[in-house]
Amino acid sequence: MELNGGSVVAMVGKNCVAIASDLRLGNQALTVATNFEKVFPVTDRIYLGLPGLATDVATLRERFRYRVNMYTIKEEREIEPETFAHLVSSTLYEKRFGPYFIEPVVAGLTSPERGSKPFIAATDLIGCLNFAKDFVVCGTASSKLFGVAEGLWEPDLEPDELFETISQTLLNAVDRDAFSGWGAIVHVITPEKVVTRTLKGRMD
Amino acid sequence: MDHFPTNWGRPRSEAVDLYNTYPLHNRPGPKADAFTEGVQRTQAPIVTGTSVLAFRFKDGIIMAADNLASYGSLARFKDVQRLIPVGAYTVIGGGGDMSDLQHINHLLEGLIIEELCEEDGHALGPAEIYEYLSQVLYARRSKMDPLWNSLLVGGFKDGKSFLGYVDLLGTTYTASTLATGYGSMIAQPLLRKYVEGREETLTEDEGKKIIEECMKVLFYRDARSINKYQIATITEKGISISESLSAHTEWSFAEKIRGYGAQTQ
Amino acid sequence: MAQQRSFNPYTENGGTILAIAGADFAVVAGDTRQTEGYSIQTRYAPKVFRLTDKAVLAVNGFAADGNMFVKKVKQRLEWYKHAHSKDMPLQSIARLIQTMLYAKRFFPYYVYNILGGIDEQGKGAVYSFDPVGSYERETCRAAGAAQSLVQPFLDNQIYFKNQTGEHPTHLPLPHVLQLVTDSFTGATERHIEVGDGLEMFVILARGRGSQELEGVAGIREVTTSDERERVFVINRDLKRD
Repeated sequence: MELNGGSVVAMVGKNCVAIASDLRLGNQALTVATNFEKVFPVTDRIYLGLPGLATDVATLRERFRYRVNMYTIKEEREIEPETFAHLVSSTLYEKRFGPYFIEPVVAGLTSPERGSKPFIAATDLIGCLNFAKDFVVCGTASSKLFGVAEGLWEPDLEPDELFETISQTLLNAVDRDAFSGWGAIVHVITPEKVVTRTLKGRMD
Repeated sequence: MDHFPTNWGRPRSEAVDLYNTYPLHNRPGPKADAFTEGVQRTQAPIVTGTSVLAFRFKDGIIMAADNLASYGSLARFKDVQRLIPVGAYTVIGGGGDMSDLQHINHLLEGLIIEELCEEDGHALGPAEIYEYLSQVLYARRSKMDPLWNSLLVGGFKDGKSFLGYVDLLGTTYTASTLATGYGSMIAQPLLRKYVEGREETLTEDEGKKIIEECMKVLFYRDARSINKYQIATITEKGISISESLSAHTEWSFAEKIRGYGAQTQ
Repeated sequence: MAQQRSFNPYTENGGTILAIAGADFAVVAGDTRQTEGYSIQTRYAPKVFRLTDKAVLAVNGFAADGNMFVKKVKQRLEWYKHAHSKDMPLQSIARLIQTMLYAKRFFPYYVYNILGGIDEQGKGAVYSFDPVGSYERETCRAAGAAQSLVQPFLDNQIYFKNQTGEHPTHLPLPHVLQLVTDSFTGATERHIEVGDGLEMFVILARGRGSQELEGVAGIREVTTSDERERVFVINRDLKRD
């Protein structure tokens, strides 16, 4: 898990969620890319963060794209975030004795019919689900992210405030981690739109 | 490039140890005598005692330990007293290697005698014994030759209770309830529940009931224990170590379970 | 030769410490929980010790080494006081700690030390050390089990890292105490080895008023004179689970 580096954090706000990641791709201590995105849209309202082994990031992105497409075709509706989280869990548990080295983070809003409620979840590398009410953190800087998030997060933050909070959490945590950093990207998901911003941070 | 003159001309392995830095301390030198070469340090305890429990109550300290010294899984010595009075004010409860505990007893006896001979009106109390033991145990661990014990030091002097823990690493801590070994896993939660907050009001009888309850659970669950234990109480009246007691235990449930009890099938 | 189970002379006793230097004060804090593995050994084991009226030392790592190290430092300071008729200045205590730690370079004290206090110019100072004596003066430092949780939070709130705009070079005392409390409550939430209680030492420079500390819950003074530096201790509860 420390081969490529990288970290992801997701937080709940008032009728919004935010998910953020760094942009580093490394080969142990050597940084190889500074534009390696780890957060991908699954649907308009669900984003998935995949910190961990880079080859598995690519593979899982494609596996989930396939599975979500099949779901949409069969069910003739978009997948809900909580259902998707369970889908992530079962996909990982299939490989229980030879796992993908990823600890995924899910962030999204439920469909308008169900009230556009904020949802976040994370799993470990074999699919154990964590439905947090405040924030979830994964990756090489996870312990640092825990510390800053615990200090900065409060409930019911508006989208702009949530953006500031998650950005400060990510930036300060990855600045203490040698394997994460080299750029950061934040997605704030509200019922109307998704705003994606790249952050200016230390490039070392 | 090898910078150390003592390595020049000596056998070296450039593949694995370019600068002849390993093994640093085992460089062949003048040999010590054959006896000291054979001396071993205590690496594992042989004859061992299990848990010791203690807590503070209204009048002082109450401590308990069973009477077993095990030889691995063999219950070898079944009437060993692991609660040792030291001077007039302190009791030590020892778990771990029993030979090391006997050595500690020997050291403490010497200490008490020396203090007695001073005849200066001072006597060693639990705090002094505790400090002495933690220094001895830490020094031994720093020589990589530990006294393989976990000790509880409890006593009452000058109107104040004292209770402390010290172990083979020299780790020390104090609290109003303490336990060693399996006791720290099984009995400590019970002690914390029944004693914490009530240290100033608990009576000796209530204390003994709590001890009995804990020793009973330990006998059920610790495979290296026996149902024969002693309780020591240290108050302003001095030290009092009871004769061996037994907790009442219920084993009749085994009759109903296949493979246990007196059943054949 | 077959592998033998050998004696490990070290263990980890958990806990976290933290120190922050202000303009004319220093705060040194530590939680009071001592653990071994998943067990809590005791809920109150102090890790922060007053050395002189100007210096407070926090030790964290292996508690037996920590307690012995503090004892030895105090003994050296007592020798110095008798020889020189004055307390050892803070920067010298820092250098002394380095030499004492490096003396055991090949069987180290497994302790992370943080020294906090008032320097010879009357300003707040914090020195942090690694187990073999490498040290540096800083404005703030966290060490111990929850170091990775607390230090980035302090980077953001004390050094204002990743924040744009005007910010003060030194923060006021009540704000710093709040930051320390918040750091520990956060660490207690997310780290199992942190909790039970918080003990904060506040060292004030000579002549600096103590009005801001009036009415603070759980505070007591440990120095005796008003003329010189003053040291206060504040105790707080932390979650016990």
